[in-house]
Amino acid sequence: MSKIQEHRVMLKYADDPEQATLAGYRHNGGYKALEKALESMTPDQVTEEVLASGLRGRGGAGFPTGRKWQFVPETDKPKYLAVNADESEPGTCKDRQIMELDPHQMLEGSLLCCYAIGAETAYIYIRGEYPHSIKATERAIEEAREAGLVGKNILGTDFSCDVWVHPGAGAYICGEETALLTSLEGNRGYPRIKPPFPAVEGLWRCPTIVNNVESLACVVHIINNGAEWFKGLGCEGSTGTRLFCVSGHIARPGVYELECGKFTLRELLEDFCGGTGTGRPIKGVMPGGSSFQVLTPDELDCTFDSDSVQKAGSSLGSGAIMVFDDSVSAVEVALNIAEFYSHESCGQCTPCREGSDWVRKLVARFCRGEAREGDIELLMDVTDRMDGTTICALAEALVWPVQSYVRKFRSEFEAGITRRAAEHEFGGFSKPVESVP
Amino acid sequence: MRPVSGNGKFSAELVKRVEALWERYPDRKAALLPALHLIQKERDGWLSDETIRDAAELFDVPDMHIKGIVGFYDMFHGQPVGRHVVRLCKTLSCKLRGADELRAHVREKYGVLNGETTADGRFTFKCFECLGHCEVAPMMLVDEEKHTELTTDKLDAVLEALA
Repeated sequence: MSKIQEHRVMLKYADDPEQATLAGYRHNGGYKALEKALESMTPDQVTEEVLASGLRGRGGAGFPTGRKWQFVPETDKPKYLAVNADESEPGTCKDRQIMELDPHQMLEGSLLCCYAIGAETAYIYIRGEYPHSIKATERAIEEAREAGLVGKNILGTDFSCDVWVHPGAGAYICGEETALLTSLEGNRGYPRIKPPFPAVEGLWRCPTIVNNVESLACVVHIINNGAEWFKGLGCEGSTGTRLFCVSGHIARPGVYELECGKFTLRELLEDFCGGTGTGRPIKGVMPGGSSFQVLTPDELDCTFDSDSVQKAGSSLGSGAIMVFDDSVSAVEVALNIAEFYSHESCGQCTPCREGSDWVRKLVARFCRGEAREGDIELLMDVTDRMDGTTICALAEALVWPVQSYVRKFRSEFEAGITRRAAEHEFGGFSKPVESVP
Repeated sequence: MRPVSGNGKFSAELVKRVEALWERYPDRKAALLPALHLIQKERDGWLSDETIRDAAELFDVPDMHIKGIVGFYDMFHGQPVGRHVVRLCKTLSCKLRGADELRAHVREKYGVLNGETTADGRFTFKCFECLGHCEVAPMMLVDEEKHTELTTDKLDAVLEALA
């Protein structure tokens, strides 16, 4: 048996079919944190508690949630919360669990945030491809509204807050916080230059906090149990429990709630998740979605927490771990990633719009075994020129993984150069690649 | 339904729902995405130039603004679609678990490539980027229903049952 155990806080009642209803959620202790905050805490105390807990945002960037809330200025302007439920990072399927199985948890966390920052309106921006999450969340809001938990004078107090679901329509970039705001205002989802940060100037140029679904779910438990309790879970730099999505070539794929810092990445994958399940060894692991560097089998002995995985040269990102075995061509994986980002580039910045397409075409050339001498250098040059030259981080999210594939699996790229293709296992790529219109 | 309010181009029911959406935002334009989902549904699943002009009039925005939105978001269709829309996830986790084979199967058995509609108009086939069901890959969305841990047999059973 694996020494790794799940520690379910956010997913504690996920198997209870009643949990998605208000009655079920309340039966299991729901809305106690909101009651506690409204009865006995000032808004600043809520923020202080979240700050003291060490909670870092769970959307991928890992910014301390309490710090973010403190950036909201004193002002007469309206303030907003935009819940980032545009879960689109490849491999990520955790926020969906909360929304479909326990939507009131997200709602309660959102109300706590609104209370803390003084917002009277929250928009939950859910990706359009999540119809089940949209329906479950709308139902939860409706029930909560009827019960006096959303709307005017919540629980008989001075605190009023409206909450609305805002469906997206299929664009990865809208998970970037400023693009989400531009999209929510009724436009193409173009990222904005920061500063000003959304906390100062967000929706309709008013202070806006953008928080990930899981971050807000954590807030509920921080208020219920206290910052010290939360800090006692996980480890320094990765406090609390976190949801991890394990997918790809893995014997036991799933979404698991785990404490960081207690085991290594290898133990998680080989013991807890049962290895690849294909009878073949692991060849590569993307530990935090597709936007960060791939790790090779010799790099998996790092402790499983944000800082250690970063030291190993990658990131836990959005908590999406994708694994592939040695039957897979690394160039083919790189192409899948390049196709993703070239499709999802919003087109605003030239280096990303043009560069991502170049990268896709170049990697495809390696895949077909038609690359030319010098194409590896060209690929590195193009990606170098994209790095750090754009408004948002989408360009880097393509550059970092692709460059890591070239560096770590260089012989497979070399095998994609025309004259060498026939001599290599993955050379001259066996299956035709359908072009992506 | 006979148009009775709004700009007279949409059903009364739809206009009522759009007006309710407007109440949620300090600026009506913000309701565009949720409204376009409703409008697309009412107009046979796609947004023609004529529909875009009607929506632009309802929202009092330039029609090119809406045209730009339709071109930007993958779930809005600027071309006619079949009676159903099949969205097959093609991103890494699904690919590693057989999405390429499913895609090839759809091409061979139903004769449609990414973006194409079957000859009988039954469904439009779209390869989508990550649909967020990586733990139960491979998966597809058929309209608003999800089908997970797909095999070619499961996929056939779903597609053949479509009216």
